[in-house]
Amino acid sequence: MKRTLLAAAASCAALSVATLSSAALAQTYAVTNARLLVTGEADDPGMIRGGTVVIEDGVITAIGRDVRVPSSAEIIDAEGRAVTPGLFAALSGVGLEEIGLNREGNDRSARGEGALSASLDAADGFYADSSVIPVSRAGGVTRAYVAPDPGSDLFGGCGMVVDLSGAGDPITERCLAQTVSLGYSGASRAGDSRPAAMARLRRALEDAALYAEDPERYRETYEEGRLPLTDARALAPVLTGEQKLLAEVHGASDIRRVLDLARRYDIDLVLFGATEAYRVAGRIAEQDVPVILFPLANLPDRFEQLGATLNAAAALEEAGVTVAFYDNDIGYTHNVRALPQLAGNAVANGMSYGAALSAITANPAIIWGLSDELGTLAAGKKADLVIWSGDPLELMSAPEAVFIDGERASLENRQTALTRRYRDLQRGDKPFAYRGD
Amino acid sequence: MRLNWRLAAATALAAGLMACGEDEEARIAGLPDSDPFASTYEPYPSGTYTLRGATVLTGTGGKIEDAAITVTGGRIARIGPADEVRPIEGAEVIDVSGKTITPGIIDIHSHLGVYPSPGFASMSDGNESTAPNTAGVWAEHSVWPQDPGFTRALAGGVTALQILPGSANLFGGRSVTLKNVPARTVQDMKFPGAPYGMKMACGENPKRVYGDQGGPSTRMGNFRGYREGWIGAQEYADDWKEYARKREAGEPAEPPTRDLAKETLAAALDGEILVHMHCYRGDEMAQVLDMAEEFGYEVTAFHHGIEAYKVADILAENDVCAAVWSDWWGFKLEAYDAVPANAALVAAQPGGCAIIHSDSALGIQRLNQEAAKAMRDGRAIGLDIRPEQAITWITANPAKAMGILDQTGTVETGKMADLVVWDGDPFSVYSKAERVYIDGALLYDAEDPALSPRTDFEIAQQDNTLLGGAGQ
Repeated sequence: MKRTLLAAAASCAALSVATLSSAALAQTYAVTNARLLVTGEADDPGMIRGGTVVIEDGVITAIGRDVRVPSSAEIIDAEGRAVTPGLFAALSGVGLEEIGLNREGNDRSARGEGALSASLDAADGFYADSSVIPVSRAGGVTRAYVAPDPGSDLFGGCGMVVDLSGAGDPITERCLAQTVSLGYSGASRAGDSRPAAMARLRRALEDAALYAEDPERYRETYEEGRLPLTDARALAPVLTGEQKLLAEVHGASDIRRVLDLARRYDIDLVLFGATEAYRVAGRIAEQDVPVILFPLANLPDRFEQLGATLNAAAALEEAGVTVAFYDNDIGYTHNVRALPQLAGNAVANGMSYGAALSAITANPAIIWGLSDELGTLAAGKKADLVIWSGDPLELMSAPEAVFIDGERASLENRQTALTRRYRDLQRGDKPFAYRGD
Repeated sequence: MRLNWRLAAATALAAGLMACGEDEEARIAGLPDSDPFASTYEPYPSGTYTLRGATVLTGTGGKIEDAAITVTGGRIARIGPADEVRPIEGAEVIDVSGKTITPGIIDIHSHLGVYPSPGFASMSDGNESTAPNTAGVWAEHSVWPQDPGFTRALAGGVTALQILPGSANLFGGRSVTLKNVPARTVQDMKFPGAPYGMKMACGENPKRVYGDQGGPSTRMGNFRGYREGWIGAQEYADDWKEYARKREAGEPAEPPTRDLAKETLAAALDGEILVHMHCYRGDEMAQVLDMAEEFGYEVTAFHHGIEAYKVADILAENDVCAAVWSDWWGFKLEAYDAVPANAALVAAQPGGCAIIHSDSALGIQRLNQEAAKAMRDGRAIGLDIRPEQAITWITANPAKAMGILDQTGTVETGKMADLVVWDGDPFSVYSKAERVYIDGALLYDAEDPALSPRTDFEIAQQDNTLLGGAGQ
């Protein structure tokens, strides 16, 4: 059966029906006639025109110009459109925050009881039915790293990567990194000064190291003031290299101190926020530390952010730093779908197109240790991909089809349903509440 | 009923004081000064020139390819197809072919200056959250002209903006409309002749802030608070009218005691001050419109109208604009029902007035991009939104709701030459404001560091070649 995308997208209703039937069949797909933006190492991400991607059993099994299409495949003619890897939010609150400012709907951070911090686990708060998931998916987001925020202590707990299919177990990989706040954000949580926050972090790491060395002895010799057992246990994997340390830090001088600390404790460090990272880019590149950047930050919100500039992404790229993007405002959770806008603005401010696209696809997968299976279009990888109506980074473009783990995902959500319900405000035979679903 | 209590009083007194000017009459009668913090804005020299060859999105719903705009004395002298616009003798001709010109971008909802960068508690001056009715505060008394956010907004093409108090209160206080021209004082930025606005807030915020501080703690408490405020203002206006009547009749009379909150509310009832109502939910908007009818005032715009699309017909019938984000949602339960076609659905109503606002020191830098997304999402449901229409969401429509459309907001003969030259399609993520003119004066040029303002706060802070431009 050959079906073009245009026909499938002709109406919301048609697309919805097509999606249901294809999902039920667990299809083999071939996306043909595509402009494949494979991302990652490629200097020119638009290197494959007229390309085909074959998807079988959830995995990309073949990709390129001269590809044999299995006879069982449902063929989707991309008609020359761009196809990218699924967008990957490098850092988000997806599933932890249904309603940002209302505590009844927000599980991003823990407050009060100081004893637990490092031992918090994003998986315990994840709401798999969150309306944010289908809304983000319709924007082309297929994976997200979900992190708990530090609340009243330095540590936020461990974060995880989830898929946004809305089906089955969403967790791709649990407890990948421990979140910590430093700089002003740390000072506001511990000791009211930067030195206090750093000192507390060092002490916690020393305690966790003791725990890692001999858990029983740590338990037996535990005394007040030490890192509680549960937190020590949760922090130990950062010292053994099993987990990364995801540190929020903005100022150049604070970043230098964190780099020193990572070297001393042999910690696998990821920086986020990192407003002034570009001023220390050489060292960051040398230590091979990736940066998760909010590329639109250009205001001196604190003294540690006086160097905030739209040029930061390009400067980091220039220095050879692995860069991924996140948004520290409404795009942290509800608008992760705006990732392409972040990347587009980075391009407008000097970053290469390939690097900007990689910052929302390949690099998050690299940062979270999942680049063998995610992040680029390559044979053997999980089939997360998006077919776009136009240039994926342009504001006027939108996903026309989204695949997650090889399944064609629904682009329906509360927002599309509400739009249909109120599209026509004429009073009908029955109240609005009887319209649609 | 649209009686202006202040004018009524002054007019009633005029008979006995023929020799005096209106201000003098007012002073003698004990009437409050209507403009104690008057604008001292002066346009910078504009010269005379022609911008030739660009595509112009006029802000009136039109589009002119290969256009010419002549500017003299800070005003637009002529606008039309290049081959039809008569050049001004001796005027410089600036080749802008391949570019797009739009009216200066206008943000109807900004807190620049009142919540400036740096975001220190000591500079957080946007919400007088000490009582639910603080109609007596004026945002301009909190505006810090050195907020670096103003320069970033300029680099985004913003030429005028309304600074509002925050939304903690039922009556938040007066707004101020500014020209986005760097200045030492806020008076030097005040948009000449712009009416004042007044901020009001529906829903979650006031009840959250005052729930444990004596109320309101409910939405019904909110409405009681608004209505009591309006009733007090009516009585206050009546007292002044009665005073004027007595003066006119030659009876002994003492002027009523001034009340800053009631002064603002009474002027809002008169229509002299425009009412800007922060309101997310459609059902609440409908109740606010009933209240406006009860007290005889008008709402000029609902801000943050997440559910405007649910009542777009009612808004259009009442000639109220809906100022919205393109895609923000979910940060509060009252923001849960957002749809990305909201602006387009509002605009699609006959007489509908859609505005894209920022409410953000970052968003204000890219209102063109926000309008682009809203246009895309309108088209996605089959609404034929063209760029020449989408541009009105961030130019003419906010100007209309702010009461300055007669001065700016469109590229039309006689208007202030507030113009943005974009280096490409203004609705592309890759385009930037290349040049920004305010009253004809070139105040930002992306290619010229000398035409890129730097605030006192940021000057000489970092030796850094990547920094220093207005857009930083």
